[in-house]
Order: sequence, then C-alpha cells, then structure tokens
Amino acid sequence: MKREKRIKIYVAILLTIMPGFLSGCWDSHELNTLSIVSGLGWDIDQDTGEVTLTYQSIIPSEIESSSSSNEGGGQKGGNPLRAIQLDQDTGASPYEVLSRYAQHASRIPFYEHTQVYIFGKDGVQRGIYPFLDTQARNPVSRPNALMVVSAEKTASDILGVQDGMENIQAFGMAAEIKLSATFSKFPAVTVLQFQNRLLSKTTAPIAPMVGIFEQTGREGKKTQKIRVVGTAVFKGDRMIGELNERESSGLLWAINEIKIGFVTIPEANLEIVKAKSKIVPELQGDQVKITIEIDQESNLVQYNGHQGITADLVQELEKGQAKEIESQVRAAVEKSFDLEADVFGFGDAVHRKYKKEWKELKPRWDDIYPCIEVVIKAKTHINEIGEINQALIKD
Amino acid sequence: MFRLLSKKMRRWRPSSSDNQTQAKQNGSPKYLSQNLEGNLQILREALGQSSDVIIRDMKINSNSKADAAVIYIDGLVDRNLVNHDILQPLMFNLQVIKDNVKERHSSLIDYIKSSVLTVGQISDTKDIDTVISGVLLGNTAVLAEGVTQALLIDTKGWETRNIEEPSNEVSIRGPKDSFTETLRTNTALLRRRIRDPRLTFQSLQIGERSKTDVAVAYIKGITPDNLISEINQRLERIDTDAILDIGYIEQFIEDSPLSLFPTVGITQRPDVVAAKILEGRAAILVDGSPMALTMPFLFMEGFQNQEDYYARPFFSSSIRWLRLLGFILSIYLPGTFVSLTAFHPELFPTQLLVSVAAAREGIPFPVAVEALLMLSLFEILREAGLRMPRSLGPAVSIVGALVIGQAAVSAGLVGAPMVIVVATTAIASFLVVPYADAGALLRFIMTVVAGFLGLFGMVIIQLEILSNMAALRSLGVPYLSPVSPLNLCGLKDTFLRAPLWAMDSRPEFLDSPDKRRQSPGQMPRVPQTKPNKREGQ
Repeated sequence: MKREKRIKIYVAILLTIMPGFLSGCWDSHELNTLSIVSGLGWDIDQDTGEVTLTYQSIIPSEIESSSSSNEGGGQKGGNPLRAIQLDQDTGASPYEVLSRYAQHASRIPFYEHTQVYIFGKDGVQRGIYPFLDTQARNPVSRPNALMVVSAEKTASDILGVQDGMENIQAFGMAAEIKLSATFSKFPAVTVLQFQNRLLSKTTAPIAPMVGIFEQTGREGKKTQKIRVVGTAVFKGDRMIGELNERESSGLLWAINEIKIGFVTIPEANLEIVKAKSKIVPELQGDQVKITIEIDQESNLVQYNGHQGITADLVQELEKGQAKEIESQVRAAVEKSFDLEADVFGFGDAVHRKYKKEWKELKPRWDDIYPCIEVVIKAKTHINEIGEINQALIKD
Repeated sequence: MFRLLSKKMRRWRPSSSDNQTQAKQNGSPKYLSQNLEGNLQILREALGQSSDVIIRDMKINSNSKADAAVIYIDGLVDRNLVNHDILQPLMFNLQVIKDNVKERHSSLIDYIKSSVLTVGQISDTKDIDTVISGVLLGNTAVLAEGVTQALLIDTKGWETRNIEEPSNEVSIRGPKDSFTETLRTNTALLRRRIRDPRLTFQSLQIGERSKTDVAVAYIKGITPDNLISEINQRLERIDTDAILDIGYIEQFIEDSPLSLFPTVGITQRPDVVAAKILEGRAAILVDGSPMALTMPFLFMEGFQNQEDYYARPFFSSSIRWLRLLGFILSIYLPGTFVSLTAFHPELFPTQLLVSVAAAREGIPFPVAVEALLMLSLFEILREAGLRMPRSLGPAVSIVGALVIGQAAVSAGLVGAPMVIVVATTAIASFLVVPYADAGALLRFIMTVVAGFLGLFGMVIIQLEILSNMAALRSLGVPYLSPVSPLNLCGLKDTFLRAPLWAMDSRPEFLDSPDKRRQSPGQMPRVPQTKPNKREGQ
C-alpha cells in the first residue's frame, strides 16, 4: 500500500518533469527586439542568378504616433510610407541573404506575420525553387501568406508604393488581392495552395500579378497605386505566361472559385448570388473529354433596354449570361492550351475518376493536354429583377 | 507532494498532551460552602479585582454580616432586569424571605427561586466553577448565607450591533439582513427562515480562555449524520486559547490546509446559510463573528450566488458563464499576454500584433517584469484601500488611478495594452469573490511562469493546479463535483441555473438522506379551461 503510494508520487513527479524535455520553439523574444516583416520581395538577377531580397518591415513607433496622438499624426502625415521600412540585400542564394540580414539590422526579423511574398517578373521566369524549399522547410513562415508576382520588373518596385488606406503597404496589398478574389476577378493564392498545385505534378500553379497604376488626381498630381492586373501561370517553379482579366475570370469559373461578382452582357449587368462548378472528365479510348458544368444564380442589377421585364426576357438574359460565362471559360481554356499548362487541374480530375488509366496517361499528360476536348455547360438562373419591372423611360 | 509536506508539518508540531494533563488537574470541582463570606471570598479571588465585577451584598440588620449577595458583571447584564427583577424583589422581601423560610423549613434558595424573582430562566448549582463561568457568560448569581446552592439567573443583555445590510455580499433582490456578532441573533435569523422543528443548533464551547460559543446548524434528516459527526469530531479536536473569529475555526477544520483553494464556504448572509442547510450541508456559527461557515464547500459553489435563485433563470445562467469567464480571465489573462508577447508573437492576430508592438516600443522592461510590476501595483492599491482609514480612501484611489492609468503610460514605463490587461484582470477577479484570494496568487504564479516558459509553462502549472483540485475533498465530497466526478443531475445548477420548478431533488453528491426537495411537475402552465363559446354576443 505504502509502496504503491510512493510509486504514484514518483510517477507524478516524473510526469511533471518530463514535459520539460520536450523540444519546441519556446525561446523568449521580446516584441521590441523583433522587426515584424510585413512583406518580402524576391528578385533574381536574370544573368548572374544573384538573389536580392527586399524586406518591408513595420516601424512600431510610427504606428503608435499615428493612432494614439493626433497632434503628431497630422504633421507627419506627409509621408504615407513612414510606418514601414524597406531594406535590401543581395547574395548568391536566398538563405545566404536571409542569414546575412542580422549584420545590418538592429532587430531579429520575424516572418510569422509576413502577409505577402512578392516575386519580380524577371526572377520568376528563372524559377523560384530555392524560395519554395525554404518556405516549406522552415517552421517560422506561414503557409497562409499570399504569393504574388510583380508585373513590374522587380518586386522592390511594388513594395515601395503606397497603396490604399493601410499604413502598412503589404497588408493593404494583401487585402486588395483577397478582395479581388472575393469579387471573383483574380485568384488569391496562398503559399499552401501553391505548394499543393506543385505537388500534383500535372496542375500548373498560379499566382496573381500586381502592377503599378498611375492615377492623375486633382491639380494634375500623379499618384501611384497598386492594382491586380492578371494571373501568372507557372510550370513547376517557373512562370511561363499570364492570363488577362477575362481569362482569369474564366479560370475562376472553371475551378469553382467564384464567390460574388458581376457578369456583364451587352443588355444588362448581373450580380452573382451563387455559383458552383464541376469538372467532369470522361475517357473515350485515348481521347480525354472534359465537361465543365457551371450552375449560377444571379440578380439583375442593371438593364439597359427600355421594355418591361417579362419571363421571356428573363430567359433571354439567362441565355446571354450563360454564353458570356462560357466564352470567358473558353478564353481561359484556349490560353491554357497555348501555354500547355493545366491550370484547371484537369489531370487531377482524370486521376480521381480513372485511377488505373491514369498511370498510363500521366507521363504523356503534357502531350495529351492541348488535345483535350472541353465542353462548357453553363446554366444560369436569374432570381430577382430588382424593385422595378417596368423601364423608367419606355420606348 | 502536499501529503509529504503535511506529514513533515505534523512531525514539527509539539505534542499537546502536557497541556491537557495540566488543565485536568486544575479542573477538580469545588463546591459552595454554607459560609457566604467564604464563598464570596473564593469568587472574588477567582474573578479578580476587576472593576466590572459587581458583588452586591444585602443585610437585614445594618451591623450584621451579609445575608445574601448578588454577583454579576456590569456590561454583560441587562441592568434594568437586574435592578427591577432581582435586586428590588430580593431587598424588599429580605425579611419576609427569612421569616418564611424559618416557618416553612424549606430551603431559602428554593423559595427565592419559586416565589421572589420575576425572571424567566433560573437554574441552581452547587459547583463554584459553574457559578464563575455563568457569571462570565452574563448571568447573575444569587448566593445566600447558610445555603450551599447558588442561583444563576439568565440576565444576558450586552450592547450589540443591530442587524444591518450585508456589506460584503450585496443583495439586490434578496433579503437585506446579515449576521451580527451575537450568536443568539444569528441563530434567530436562521430559525426565522426555517421553522422546521428539526432545525438543530448543536452548541459547544471552544477555547481554553475565550470559551467561545460555537453552534453547528443543520436540519435533522436532511444533512447526513456522518457529516455532522465528522464536523463535531473536528471541532472537538480544536484545543486552543481563544477563538476570536470564525476564521480560526475555518483554519482548524478545513480539509486541505495546504491547498490554495478554500474547502470551507464563508458567508455573512442568513439566506445563503439557510439555502445551504436546506441543500443538505451544515453550517457553523461562532459567537463574536458576523460570518457563518458552510460545509462541504465545492469549487462550483464559488460561481453560484444566492441572487441567482431570486432572479429568473435565463439571466442567472448567463451570469454564471460570465463569472466563469471572469475567473478564467483573472487567472490567465496577464500570463497569456506575457507568453504571447515574449514567446509566441505568431499567435497574435496580425493587426493586434502591430498595435501591441507599437505600444511596447520604448518600454524599458521585459514584458513579464512589466506585468508583475503592474499586478503588484494593483495589489498594493487594493490592500491599501482595504486597510487604510476610510477617510483616506478617495485620495488613494485618485493617486492610484493616475499612477497606474495615465502617468505610467505617458512616461513610457508600461504599455497601454498592459494597463488594459491588468485592469481587466483586476475587475474580473472580483466577479468570483470566494476565489479572489486564490486567484490573485495563481495570477502571479502564472505570470512568473509565463515569463520563463511561455504558454508551455502555463500549461504545466495548469496541470498541477487541476490535479490538486481533483484530489481535494471537502468533508468527503470531491471538490470538483458535480463536474468531476460527473453528476448529470448536479449540472442543473452548475453552468446553468435550471428553473426552480425543475430542481426537484437536492444535490446528489451531498448524499442527503432526504433526496426530494419538492414534488415534480410544478412548471407553471396556462390554466386548461374550456374555450368560451360566447361569440354570438
């Protein structure tokens, strides 16, 4: 009895001590010894292959002055980028640059909250494999950060442009990209999604492209803004081409990434309420046939004609809408055939349905892909026609 | 580990057997003699030369020796009663008494008792120690020449505080009376609420010198017998000089003196005690203390407030959750904040991290030191506010608010988020008053550990605390019941407060012999009358 008790006590002590030997990242870093990296730009020299990293870090003291005391904020308001600091370094490999950062920084870089990884257009055509490896290997970087390709020459160009209302530019950029995905214009691609597409071997990774847009404001003042301009298409770790706005939209329709947004046809504008799509593969001997089934519901938000809305007209609009969607998807499909990049994941769809045949198809997929027969079936339904059913100005 | 500690403590305790034998030698009974003067002499010696001891002797002839004497302690007795109903009849009738006694040959003291004194409660004794202790209780003793008996007349009547509103446990809808320092008043407050003849006040005296009256209150047939005998055993074990407050009793009888958590409940409201007694618990009242102990006391009781039962169940239930939240916040919030800023900044939402980082900018201390500094400052202010003369209160609170709130932040000594964290913690800790003390200690422990090990350390400490709590028992009832061991019926009154008509049985884990509290199916309904057929009118 007493012995049992003693054993119990020993076990209890052992159990309490043991977790102490578990490993983990527990080391203490006070917040004011960290420099929070909000965005990281990667540029690779086309010729030498040297890597240039651009750090966009937050300057916490500047944030405080803008939020807590109004007196100082008003005066300092002149420089919109004062809350961030841009820092650049160049080296032979990305990790060399990362490790060298300590030499010229007063604080430890903190990548856990990095929102955006942005790649210069030149570098991305050379391949970003070293980045992808570091990103996947290190626990400090988050898989839900966004992958972005710069439409300008370098990534640092983009990171230095003030954008929107956010005082931390990278956060603003991330928000803008996410919003463009919400409105079903361009995809927002996280590191994890990018990796998943890479792992499937046949599916081509994609990433939104961001460019600088010049705006002429009042008094002829020119301001630079950031815009999402297209979708970069990768083959492996190299970018091989891009989709324009219409093609990007078509891509989103096909891969079931439409959330809300608008469809514009000559007669009317329609607001998407609900959208669903399915990729249905079919094997006929050696010929792969893909059917993209799209189901959409929308509301009429603008009608350009002058007649009252009738059931026939609604049907007509539904047909027009379906045609427009089909043509968008078709554009994307044609472009992907041109690039020979399976951005839709047709290969995966075939794999899922025809597991046995896939083994044989997989090595030849690049050859098969451009010859796939794609049928697009869009079904649309208009739910509401709005508050009026008669035109305000009649014929 | 605690058990080992307590074993060692027991070894350090000096053996109390020597004291006991001495006490017994003094306690040989002495009886009154026939000689009044001699008796008075003994009493004078025993009671000392205190000025509040009044010995009033009465003579028939002015030159003879005293024939009778009245002894009482001024201040403890009702002076009116002594003057009008004891001294007056005695002195007016002294001659008659003597004559009467001679004629009838009956005992003088019996005659006085049955025919002279106009007071309710009178007893007689031969034992001189009983006389002394009776006088010290506030009784009046009457002695007479040639008689070996003394009369003890109940004349207790000292100045007492009135029944006032409870100051610690504010009542909103419930009754607004609270216990006072007088045991009789307190028992009366309970008796007025429960008119059950089975409501029992079992009294005993504790304290070698203070001889404090202690009463165990329970209802026979509702409180389990073994519980009562256990309480009695624990009370009888107490052998100490004086019981100045109920806290002495609490510390002598609690189940786990080495745990941070209380295993004995304490309240100043009679309605709370009545409710607990009716649930099958027992209460302990102590003369001289305006508080009552209730046992067994379980962890979840801390989150129950008597007002919960007076208000409608929906709001009461949500308030329960609020209390739980407050308790959790008050213990973990500073520690979590420290862990997150010092060890796991990645766990902050990004925007929050930016604000926190901005606020931490330029703060000279590590965040753990900052937290401990602010927590200590708060505890200092709280303690000062409690103990200092009441007139200084506002001054301190102004200084405290300025120092903690404004100046420290603008001077850059602490960050604004830390002030918010500490302030929230401080307020939240008063949501669950029974655990405010334990919570304060745990909060400090958590913060210190968080400063060294982060969330990981907090989890380890949390495991320790939980295992300690799971091991605790209050009078044999597991401390965490009805949650662990799980008692589904008991959960009716834990995280939710079920409607009164749904709580038909007493808490099962208390093991009351009388399980049922009320008849089931008392949910109020719309009366089932036949529909009126007067539509034609």
